[in-house]
Amino acid sequence: MDFELYEIIQAFGDGVMKGSTYALLGIGFTLIFGVMQKINMSFGAVSISGAYASLTASILFPEVNAFVVFGASIIFAGIIGYVVYLCCFKWIPLANPLATLMATIGMLFFLEEVTVHATAGMPQPYPAMPYDEYFEFGQYSIRGDLVAIFLLCLIATAILLFMLYRTRLGIATRAVAQQPIAARLAGISIEKTNATTFIITGLIGGLAGAMIASTVSILSVLFFLPYTVKGLIVTVIGGLGSIPGAIVAGLLVGGLEEVALLLRGILERDIYIMLLLFLFLTFRPGGIFSNSFQRD
Amino acid sequence: MEFYLGLIQIFGVHTIIGLSAYVILLTGQVTMAQAGLVSVGAYASAMLTAMYGWHIVPSLLIGGVAAMVMAIVVGFPALRVKGLIFVIATLAFGEFIRLFWFNFTFQIEKGGELIGPIGAEGFRMIRYFPENGWSTGGLAAFIWFWAIIIMAAVWWMDRSRAGSVLRAVGEDEVAAQSVGVNLTVVKVSAFAASGLIAGIAGALYAHYTTHIEQENFTVLLATFAIAYPLLGGLRNIWGTLIAVIFIQGVLTEVLRFMGDWRNLLYGLLIVLAMNFRPHGLIDANVTARLKRLFGAQRSANDA
Repeated sequence: MDFELYEIIQAFGDGVMKGSTYALLGIGFTLIFGVMQKINMSFGAVSISGAYASLTASILFPEVNAFVVFGASIIFAGIIGYVVYLCCFKWIPLANPLATLMATIGMLFFLEEVTVHATAGMPQPYPAMPYDEYFEFGQYSIRGDLVAIFLLCLIATAILLFMLYRTRLGIATRAVAQQPIAARLAGISIEKTNATTFIITGLIGGLAGAMIASTVSILSVLFFLPYTVKGLIVTVIGGLGSIPGAIVAGLLVGGLEEVALLLRGILERDIYIMLLLFLFLTFRPGGIFSNSFQRD
Repeated sequence: MEFYLGLIQIFGVHTIIGLSAYVILLTGQVTMAQAGLVSVGAYASAMLTAMYGWHIVPSLLIGGVAAMVMAIVVGFPALRVKGLIFVIATLAFGEFIRLFWFNFTFQIEKGGELIGPIGAEGFRMIRYFPENGWSTGGLAAFIWFWAIIIMAAVWWMDRSRAGSVLRAVGEDEVAAQSVGVNLTVVKVSAFAASGLIAGIAGALYAHYTTHIEQENFTVLLATFAIAYPLLGGLRNIWGTLIAVIFIQGVLTEVLRFMGDWRNLLYGLLIVLAMNFRPHGLIDANVTARLKRLFGAQRSANDA
């Protein structure tokens, strides 16, 4: 099979726009890691189950605008994120990394099974972005809905960065991330900051979940694990704890994934993403933006 | 009776899988690669018996060695990183192997029909035991023969110097390094031993189910592998055995009347157990109490 160069570029461009959802997932994983030095394995599940919960909005009000459903997804995922914090972090001694990790894995399967039960395992239709224009540029074309998704994710990231760097809440979050003890001495409640981080990452995850579902107009329980794995891979490639890294890695993984899909087909697509991860682990284990404070 | 023997087979295989993760968990690393390593052993040994007519014992060992080689190959790059990145690396590795089997088709003609793994459909007709007229009881005994050998080996390793070294690395890497422990050697050996054990478990699994496919080796199996030792506690191997019997026996079989609702319990159980017993069922406290119960007699003997 031969492919013209422009087809590959087209696929890469589409992928980069879809990759903005991976970037959001990566930001969520990385933010929790930055603040608590822990991995929340159930974060991908929080995103997808938030999107699932938002389906109630479209069931209760069938005529509702797609954006209301997306908003519901964000709010529900924020709530689920807080529940995860309560179940997996609040009462487990944080000095025991194995226990919190295992608890979040348990939570991942629990959320997945709850969703399977609620929907009888059937894929659910999800409202797509209400833009179906195509923009033509010579050989290239750009899907309107992908542009909308890309812009939404961009705006969410901008809001998050503003919050982290310009508000008191963000200063507290970064203080806890850098020096928990000093932060506590300065009168910042670590527990409160941790809980807030979980809610904020939940909100981001909800947007990511809604965007993932709306690109394909469907929501399936088969999304849980693959998107968890993708989000984690993006986090590692970007460098654990680095937000710019997560963004760049998310877009890169999205683009390369679409190219692999074009060249090698759906069955082999994910294999190349894993190979990319192993390349990074071997040659640049710290990720694209290596962090100066490497802790585990 | 057949039913209980089948259950005993499951206990045996899952105990071996749990012990394969136990060895790595002792070094303080969480691995999500066990499902992948189990699948390597399963496919390798099943291909040898079903396609090339090997005897079960050498194919079992080759399956174990294949998984061990795989573990070492992956172990080196993956062990450059540690802690949480290691978890993600092994998770991706496990999924990578699963996807490999998903795309792997390799068949040869044998006795007039094609036999071998076919991509997503999996590997059917691994009929070594039925063809050679093994009874269910014989098979259960065979599985437990291996399970007991491996339990004894891990138990002995745990009590020997090697076990102390693994635990030292698990407790504090820097301290271990400062008394002259070579971290890379220790971790790669632990990974290799774990691969060997997981490979044997996979080989046994492939032969008692007679049909394997990539669906059997998902993250769920990897989670179970580390959940057994973590729920049971890392003090000794008995915790793993108890956790296997509890999850596979009580949760899966006794609660069968609950139907699909049972699946909710696995995740919930892990969350609850980690909240109430973060160090596992048998933690330092329980061991100390048991020692006190039986200790008086033993110290009298020692004296």
